[in-house]
Amino acid sequence: MKERGILSASDLRKPWNKAVYGFMVLCIAVMTFTMLYPIGMTMFNGLKSNQEINTFPPRFFPSEWHWENFPKGWAYIDLPMFLKNTLLIFGGNLLVTILVLGMAAFSISRIRVPYHRAIYFFILMTLFIPASSYMIPNFVNLKELGLLNSYWAFWLPAGANAYFFLLIKNFFDGIHPEIFEAARIDGASEMSSFLRIAIPLSVPIFATLAIFTFSTAWNDWFWPSLVMQTQDKYTLATAIYKYVINARSLDSSVKFSILFMVMVPPIFVFLAFQKFIMRSVSLSAVKG
Amino acid sequence: MEETIMSQGQARIEPGRRARKEHKRKPLWRKYIWGYLFLVPAIAIFIVFLWVPIFKGIFYSFFHIDFVKGNTFVGLDNYVNVLSNPDLLLSVRNTLYFMLLTLVIGFWVPIAASIAISELKLFQGFARIAAYLPFVVPGVVLYGMWRWMYDPVGPVNALFGFFGAEPVSFISDSRFSMVSLVVMETWQQFGSAMLIYLAGVLSIPKDWYEAAEIDGAGVWARIKYITLPSMRNLIVLMLILQLIGTSQAYQSQLAMLDGGPNKATLTYALLTVKYAFNQLDYGAGTAMGILMFLVLSLLGILQFKMNREEY
Repeated sequence: MKERGILSASDLRKPWNKAVYGFMVLCIAVMTFTMLYPIGMTMFNGLKSNQEINTFPPRFFPSEWHWENFPKGWAYIDLPMFLKNTLLIFGGNLLVTILVLGMAAFSISRIRVPYHRAIYFFILMTLFIPASSYMIPNFVNLKELGLLNSYWAFWLPAGANAYFFLLIKNFFDGIHPEIFEAARIDGASEMSSFLRIAIPLSVPIFATLAIFTFSTAWNDWFWPSLVMQTQDKYTLATAIYKYVINARSLDSSVKFSILFMVMVPPIFVFLAFQKFIMRSVSLSAVKG
Repeated sequence: MEETIMSQGQARIEPGRRARKEHKRKPLWRKYIWGYLFLVPAIAIFIVFLWVPIFKGIFYSFFHIDFVKGNTFVGLDNYVNVLSNPDLLLSVRNTLYFMLLTLVIGFWVPIAASIAISELKLFQGFARIAAYLPFVVPGVVLYGMWRWMYDPVGPVNALFGFFGAEPVSFISDSRFSMVSLVVMETWQQFGSAMLIYLAGVLSIPKDWYEAAEIDGAGVWARIKYITLPSMRNLIVLMLILQLIGTSQAYQSQLAMLDGGPNKATLTYALLTVKYAFNQLDYGAGTAMGILMFLVLSLLGILQFKMNREEY
């Protein structure tokens, strides 16, 4: 027999319950449609002629398929350059996160140096200070350090993430300690047990961090627009905000084709790793 | 049978014991030096990029910041400036209005959706993916997309027109602009909250429902007395997280409307950002950040308490 939920099979035999259940299914169907419609609209608007987009009432599917909007959108701004900048920030951030926070978590969780609890609280305390309250001094601080318009302004602060630290530390706590004892008998130094045991065993948690880091690097448009001050350093999201969203003379059809191209990679990443991502979403419940 | 397990167990323990002895012979300080070396980069980065800005924030709020001529001490001038700005009260009111709207429009949706989706017999996986999909749409795409959705000739007006309503300019009419932003954000964000609630709903033991049904509890009674109370802690935690998040909101207000029309979407955080990056008055912006910190730390303490109960 199938496992029951809130409703049992006999509930659904009563007409009133049946009607309510049917209404609920209808609501979910409407919700699903509402979720998918704007995404599909962006795609199909990118394939319409500019005139067709502006006719009222709007049609969902294009009457003529204008594939040339995509090459036009690709050539409108230097997408490959902005993509390169975004990926540079993503890669560097991930590397710093894994190395800096991984080493710190290894030290706190496995080596347990004296005063490790004090250091642990020193790191975790930052979680309870709302980010927007120090956003402006943070900017002034980066400026005084001379880091503006440099990738280091992203890479270095990536190591100051208490939430990611907590995730890695909890993961290390779960690794069986005898593995490290065995390595120590074989003469492994602390460095090599970190690099050759802790890191390879922690691929699942690093994959979760990679997805979080990717979505931040891909989505964040405001902070990069402040820190990066010349066009050749802009990230993709910043460039789209400055040159596409706020463009006055850009055809809507080309605009939608660009928006669609920017939306595809994260959707693809999500669909490819959806089982994995859906599991890590519940981790984000503790995020402050 | 029992013997083999015992001997296996001993065989496994044996190297561990030897290791512990070995371990004692190896000088501890060498291990600890490595331990501290591992901590140095993280501690340095946390100090330079988090603690220094946090403490400098207090310091900067008493200074006029000038990158060229250097900073000058101005006492409480920044605070006086900020507090005497008539926009401040307006921005606080707008922020509270925004927070209220996200509660009324957005907060119950993921809870209801998670309970409903958990009861789906078919296409449950599809409904979950569809609900989460907007969450992976990048912010800038969201803004472009919804500006069109809300356009006078866009899809939302077409739907309203179908029911015979007059066309509304949703975002440029100050009566509807904030509501429109909240609907847009709910569209994007409810999927991730829904998944978190769904994990909670699915973890409730099914025999509780069985027992309640045998005792004659109807469907609504089961939801009211079993499902919702089981999710109580999660709901309160999510409520606090949402309040912390929405009280600091400015990005969609900035990107969609730049605080307009007629300052109707000027939130507190947006005013802070505008002080700093439009008027280049970093001191006043920092002072607003400090004021916000004082208010929000109350919520932060609440969240901390909840987290402790939950995990």
